[in-house]
Amino acid sequence: MAHGSPRNRSGIAAAGRLILRRLGSALLTLLLVSLVVFTISALLPGDAAEETLGQSATPEAVAALRHQMGLDQPAHLRYVRWLGGMIKGDPGQSLVANMPVGQVIAGRLPNSLTLAGLTAAVAIPLALAIGLLSALYRDTGLDRALNLMTLGMVAVPEFLVATIAVLVFSVTLRWLPSITVVREGIGWAEMLRGYAMPVMTLACVTVAQMARMTRAAVIDQLSRPYVEMALLKGLSPSRVVLVHVLPNAVAPIVNAMALSLSYLLGGAVIVETIFNYPGIASLMVNAVTSRDMPLLQACAMIFCVAYLLLMLAADVCAILANPRLRGQ
Amino acid sequence: MTPTVPLREESMVKPASTAASRVRHWLSGLSTSGRVGLALVVLWLVLGAAGPLLAPYDVGAFVSPEVFDGMSAQHWLGSDYLGRDVLSRLLSGAQYTVGLALASALLASATGAGLALTATVCPRWVDEVISRFMDTLISIPSKVFALVLVAAFGSSLTLLLLIAAATYTPGAFRIARALAINLNQMDYVQVAYARGEGRLYIATAEIMPNMIHPVLADFGLRFVFIVLLLSGLSFLGLGVQPPNADLGSLVRENISGLGDGALAILAPAMAIATLTIGVNLLIDALPGRGRRITGGR
Amino acid sequence: MGGMLAAGLTAGGPAFGAGQEPALPRRGGRIRVAGMSSSTADTLDPAKGALSTDYARHYMFYSGLTRYRADLSAEPALAETLESDDRILWRAVLRTGVTFHDGKPLSPQDVVYSLMRHQDPATASKVRTIADQFRRVTVSGSNEVTIELTGPNADLPAILADSHFLIVQDGTADFRQAIGTGPYRCISFQPGIATIAARNENYWVEGRPYLDGIELLGIPDEVSRVNALLSGDVHLVNAVNPRSARRIEASLGHRVLETKSGLYTNLIMRQDALPTRDPDFVLAMKFLFNRELVRRTLYRNYATIANDQPIPPGSPYYLADLPQRPYDPDRAGFHLRKAGLAGARLPVYASPAADGSVDMASMLQEFAAQAGLHLAVNRVPADGYWSTHWMKHPLGFGNTNPRPTADMLFSLFYKSDAPWNESGWRNEQFDQLLLAARGERDEARRRQMYGDMQVLVHDHCGVGIPVFISSLDGYDQRLKGLGSIPIGGLMGYSFAEHVWWEG
Repeated sequence: MAHGSPRNRSGIAAAGRLILRRLGSALLTLLLVSLVVFTISALLPGDAAEETLGQSATPEAVAALRHQMGLDQPAHLRYVRWLGGMIKGDPGQSLVANMPVGQVIAGRLPNSLTLAGLTAAVAIPLALAIGLLSALYRDTGLDRALNLMTLGMVAVPEFLVATIAVLVFSVTLRWLPSITVVREGIGWAEMLRGYAMPVMTLACVTVAQMARMTRAAVIDQLSRPYVEMALLKGLSPSRVVLVHVLPNAVAPIVNAMALSLSYLLGGAVIVETIFNYPGIASLMVNAVTSRDMPLLQACAMIFCVAYLLLMLAADVCAILANPRLRGQ
Repeated sequence: MTPTVPLREESMVKPASTAASRVRHWLSGLSTSGRVGLALVVLWLVLGAAGPLLAPYDVGAFVSPEVFDGMSAQHWLGSDYLGRDVLSRLLSGAQYTVGLALASALLASATGAGLALTATVCPRWVDEVISRFMDTLISIPSKVFALVLVAAFGSSLTLLLLIAAATYTPGAFRIARALAINLNQMDYVQVAYARGEGRLYIATAEIMPNMIHPVLADFGLRFVFIVLLLSGLSFLGLGVQPPNADLGSLVRENISGLGDGALAILAPAMAIATLTIGVNLLIDALPGRGRRITGGR
Repeated sequence: MGGMLAAGLTAGGPAFGAGQEPALPRRGGRIRVAGMSSSTADTLDPAKGALSTDYARHYMFYSGLTRYRADLSAEPALAETLESDDRILWRAVLRTGVTFHDGKPLSPQDVVYSLMRHQDPATASKVRTIADQFRRVTVSGSNEVTIELTGPNADLPAILADSHFLIVQDGTADFRQAIGTGPYRCISFQPGIATIAARNENYWVEGRPYLDGIELLGIPDEVSRVNALLSGDVHLVNAVNPRSARRIEASLGHRVLETKSGLYTNLIMRQDALPTRDPDFVLAMKFLFNRELVRRTLYRNYATIANDQPIPPGSPYYLADLPQRPYDPDRAGFHLRKAGLAGARLPVYASPAADGSVDMASMLQEFAAQAGLHLAVNRVPADGYWSTHWMKHPLGFGNTNPRPTADMLFSLFYKSDAPWNESGWRNEQFDQLLLAARGERDEARRRQMYGDMQVLVHDHCGVGIPVFISSLDGYDQRLKGLGSIPIGGLMGYSFAEHVWWEG
């Protein structure tokens, strides 16, 4: 179980091979996603012209606006044109926002990444700590208490958690702002106050899953003979866990984390709505409701890339941490 | 037919079994928290099945002149935001949450496991196609996916069921595939290949029986996720058609009573919590849970 | 020149009395305001304004030829006078010394452009149907514009006060900036996120506006919006749910402002489909509305009982002595049996897009069941509702915003050839009355005509109107000067130039 440098090098080589192979299938997945999004969005009632005009639509006005938006062209032509643009790196013009899709996304994506990053920074250490503690003190009162706590966190719908938090911390105590306003040039303290509740809510949703996975993976390793050997050799239990058990348990743990993190981008729509946070998940909902297809496609692409990257990162982590997985 | 009928009545809450002693044996193997979990699960299964019969009022009836009323003899859980009986709405709503989640979780787990077995025993390109398709499905945010489909086809129970199932099939597939690939490398499976057994036989007779426990545990988790997904969808206004409401919608529609601590919101929230916690506790207590992680050895 | 018509533009008139103490306005301060909508469709183009937050934004940056008073009559704004002899040819004399935010002076050409652009399909104007009555708009002097209509319309001054007809600069096609003559300048605008405005020091009303700046947000989730008000993060919100009103009133520093308006959510019974075209069915449904219950539980009394006709009690033409139609399940049952529909099943479409319609449908379902009619409520998503469901099903719901005049309301929604004749109702007598009323010079006879039209709609039209919904704003008590203009919340969306801050 020693970790010499030659092994690390073979790990990097294996990771490199994996990344190359994934690149090909990633492009395929992206194409599939765009096709699926395109197909189901074609089934939606109404189009961007009708949604823009809303209740005041008249047939002539709709026809004129359709022409202006290019919606009078056949659907497959629009898709091919969009695809051509994407290959050149241009996601097109938003149908309703009066600006390029890239610009709309640029105003939102950093917000989503900040929120996801901060949540990850809170949730991952917390989940690891909870998972490790409950594994080490398995079947004790502490384990059961931690288990109930994490279960309780996911057992309440997140919109209720968020609303209760706002009622307590914003309305009653007035400690934290009830909506998260993003503005350039605000100080760190102000920013952390604004992010406290969204991050807490999202952490609630994700910690439980990661912690439970960590606990299970560590317990699984703890029951193996090599752990007993190491303990018999006189190594301290904490050293055994950190040096021997964790690297072996890393694969399922990082996998669970990657899945949870991918939720932080796309699944944050409720948190974004309640805290009025201009993120990309609510932007995608917005794109659906306004039938803004180029914007919808761009959002779908971003979520897909994020998911694939996270899965790749998880696998690379697993390979680097655990020599046994390198043969694949 | 038999004089044991009254006894059966008493043990009705236990899962159907012809051998009561086996059930008793299994129960004695459960930890305390497992038993609590089992009790909660059974309670909600019963309420899901019989809730509408137990409801004192009609689900859509306007029975109280007061909105967000507290507990009273006529209305045990008070009244909701329109003056309807909360207890009746809760009892009628349980069937949607429990039934939908149960059906979708079954569908998701079965589809996921089936596809995983196919991917494992078939040529590599089949695996590649299924895996890419699953990646596609999972990378579209579930709530947006639901929003689009409901907008396209209109909200119905079948559609909600399919949405929830489609959302959680990729996850079930990932886990089942990891298990199946591991098992596929086992000596006894390789021996079966060498014997010249067909792929269907290997998948169903050799691999599946050995991954059933972790898949069942995973099924329980899917159930919980789907309950929470459904309540998330209710926030976006997607759900069963009024005047009916699933548990999540009950929480959502009464949210303005939160500031006053109205029972109309606390009761369905508690219902969701006890249901999900119960299922989790039960899964935790099931034997062979750890195997799910690394794949059955 | 014959007898000059009173064309609506007179000095004086009712003030915006809303219980505000007559204090001297204070200059300075910044506030944050949250509207109910926020999306990538947010716009700086007045012609495209779709939702309340858009209107509020447009009234901050632009001014109109006229503006509303508290009774929805019009008073002069950029037009010092707006007069007509025949109600067809109107002359507007523009205020002098008005400049746009970029320093350019207001010219008649700006007005011509602003009014005529609505007819260009490329503008995608929301009010094209109304603007189609402008036959010609021409510059008729260095300071004067002539508007020629296709037919007489006494309501032109009120029409021009609408936010869509606010004045933009000649030739503007790119609305990434807002160059208007309004009380505030646009500092930054991010669709779906926020609008930041600063005081226009050269505003054409002396001493106004009072605030240094306004940040306008959209918080679509109502619970979050109210919480933001109560936590002090915003100082003014609109579209408060009646269920939240008690929470706001219970808070020490906050108040609710109720504006009784003509907003209504209505049941549509299509007159070109079976069985909804059956007059007995229509009457049965109208008798099945438990208006008292709708008002009490759904709107917590922040609503006025309506009588299946669209003119609200605040209107000068409201017919007060039309007997109120009660909730009467027995008579409903009688009409249902007469129509041969006892025991029938029918779907009814409702959506969050039409405020309160889902709950109204649930109520209707409950009471219809007691009268022997089984309604199946179909709740459909808000997006796509207007294009795919509204007016497309035999039985469904619609929602109509307040209009400044009875003529506008009837012309847009009830005339046989109206673009949004929701129920497809055709009544020749009604059409004739409507046309006659437009040209009628005798006020008493005009009132009589509008009264007759209300009776016709009440008796025959396939539209059921249970209540008029009050619009509720929540505000921080340090915000002064807020009143009611019943075209909508936020003081008819034009709070920006009226309010001041005492904090």
